[in-house]
Amino acid sequence: MEELKGAISLIGYGLAAIGPGVGIGIIAGNAVQAMARQPEAAGMVRTTMFLGIAFTEALALIGFVLFFLA
Amino acid sequence: MDELILASGECDLTVTAVCAPEDVTELFEFREAVFSILGFPITRTVFLIVLAGVIAIALLYFGLRKRSTQPGKFQLSIESLMLFVRDEVAVGIIGPTGIRYFPYLMALFIFILIGNIFEITPFVNFPITSRMAIPLFLSLLTWVIFVVAGFKKNGISYLTGIIWPPGVPVFLKPLVGLIEFFSTFLVRPFSLAVRLFANLVAGHVMLTLLLLTAFISIVSIGEIGLAKGAFGIAWWALALAIFGFEMIVILLQAYIFTLLSAVYIDTSVNVEH
Repeated sequence: MEELKGAISLIGYGLAAIGPGVGIGIIAGNAVQAMARQPEAAGMVRTTMFLGIAFTEALALIGFVLFFLA
Repeated sequence: MDELILASGECDLTVTAVCAPEDVTELFEFREAVFSILGFPITRTVFLIVLAGVIAIALLYFGLRKRSTQPGKFQLSIESLMLFVRDEVAVGIIGPTGIRYFPYLMALFIFILIGNIFEITPFVNFPITSRMAIPLFLSLLTWVIFVVAGFKKNGISYLTGIIWPPGVPVFLKPLVGLIEFFSTFLVRPFSLAVRLFANLVAGHVMLTLLLLTAFISIVSIGEIGLAKGAFGIAWWALALAIFGFEMIVILLQAYIFTLLSAVYIDTSVNVEH
């Protein structure tokens, strides 16, 4: 049986990316829905969507940094 | 071709094309200087930072020098860039008082954009924002600006509004205040810097790996046979597609950094709503 190689921090980063991945999917999906229902509000929805994505992403970014630190 | 391109540990540059760095500290420090001017050591990164600054100043200066009422293509593109930052970001997010912060946001946007564009510039292929020092410095600048703006506008009630938030049940106030304090003063600048840094590092590494794999496969086509060598062309085509994707990332990250800076300034200036 071969030896298992690699850093466990890689798995940690993968786990940290699950939640933000789901969250960004929800945000982007709902934003598309809002834009389709109300195209005249598309600009505002887009800005808010980027903001929401940016805040959600922070968790994955912290995981990314911990992967470097570990 | 027994060796992987990124051989770690024992690395011989005559066998492998690229050596993996021993650890990741390379991303956080400057390498040895190429040359020095008046005792200041100039590395490739420092040179590119200065170049980005010069390009940004030159673009704005020559684009807006004439202020012709019938603008040419160059003046028009610079003006529409400025209008975008002013109307969508500065005034659009902060409100009418946001025009005060427009010069800072514009400088931030154009500097990050040019620094990012170095990633896909041929023969440079190195985004300066993929060294932690630059995004960290820019985000600390934003941090200083939004904290100073908050204290200047609201006085000490800016701080008490964060650590003793109104409209929250009293028994929850210490907890919410603590979380708000950490998220405002620590997580905000940190995530702002790391977002830009991580996106650019990921893109840079991805492009490097794909292009090198393609290059090595195509160069050693006589050694590994035509069937395997043809994969090199597929990698190369994929790398070109990633170039297109990176263009979007570059624009988006510059925009998001500027947008979030504006939002942070907005939350400390307009606390009422």
